[in-house]
Amino acid sequence: MGTSMAATDGGKYVYCIVRSARPCEFGAIGIGGEANRVYTVHHEDLAAVVSDTPIVIYDPTRENVLAHEFVNETVMREHTVIPMSFGTVFRSGDDVSELLRSTYEAFSDVLDKMRDKIEFGLKVLWDRERVIATLERSNEEIRRLKDEIERNAQNSTYFARIQLGRLVEAALEELGSAFVADVHASLRPVAVASRSNKPIGDRMIMNAAFLVERAESEAFDEKVKALSHRYEELLTFKYTGPWPPYNFVNIKLKLERAD
Amino acid sequence: MGLLSKLLTFPVSAPVAGVRWSLETVERVVRDELVDDSAIKDELMALQLALEEGDIDGEEYVRREAELMQRFREVRYWREQFGMGVSGGPVRVQRDTEEHG
Repeated sequence: MGTSMAATDGGKYVYCIVRSARPCEFGAIGIGGEANRVYTVHHEDLAAVVSDTPIVIYDPTRENVLAHEFVNETVMREHTVIPMSFGTVFRSGDDVSELLRSTYEAFSDVLDKMRDKIEFGLKVLWDRERVIATLERSNEEIRRLKDEIERNAQNSTYFARIQLGRLVEAALEELGSAFVADVHASLRPVAVASRSNKPIGDRMIMNAAFLVERAESEAFDEKVKALSHRYEELLTFKYTGPWPPYNFVNIKLKLERAD
Repeated sequence: MGLLSKLLTFPVSAPVAGVRWSLETVERVVRDELVDDSAIKDELMALQLALEEGDIDGEEYVRREAELMQRFREVRYWREQFGMGVSGGPVRVQRDTEEHG
């Protein structure tokens, strides 16, 4: 293990893997709330960005997740990073070096593929009531049925109401898909890849991640701004990033039970 | 064992098989539920969105987050009990046997 450069012994929390043959320091920003120093452990020209930690399981609390993300954001300003899953802890610096050594080819390959690529998150929420109001104005069939129900307020309009409900649901689904398709179509030319995740809650119609060339990030920005402007009446765009490519790199490590 | 147990169990073996099957099904359903954290993840993400959207305040977030963390720990416990993979936590590093230490 001649290339091992663990600065101190004991547990290491690993944030990400970068390409660097020389030791790096990223400041006292480590997870755990004790301003742990963030530094690198090496094998040849691969480096794991780590901080010292006891061997514990970190709960994915907002505080902990933000600490993990903040380190990755800091590192990615100067490096292409392969992010590690939240909560990954090694028993020693030697174990970290061993990981780098045994997966050297795979990490090198992924680092090459991810070079100068960053991730953006885009969640799109809609105001259901507003969209329905728009539909009632623009959709001929819905408008007619609604008028009919209002005119016959005293009569039994039960089935007409059910029919209206179905029409509105179908129109909403169609419209939602059209919005999402339009957003994807606008962003596809400026993205390398995209990934759709499950929407959160009932107001979200899109929860996607985009992999973007660093050089294209301004063009991507512009497109998102144009979209949010075009749909500002109906949709809310929650746009985040740049992130390390969390959604495009997936490293699975064999985990053991904590003692 | 032997003849006596055969005699005792034979007349009821058919219904027992059925009961065992349904018990196993129940056990599997319970087990699947115990080791599945996807619902907790969904709730956690919804909770974060609610905080970001200003639907709940920081205090309520912390309180509800703590409940979810407890549920995560329970799922982790059961996954470990059943020898299943868990996310996060210590990593076992296997050394190559030919390695010169």
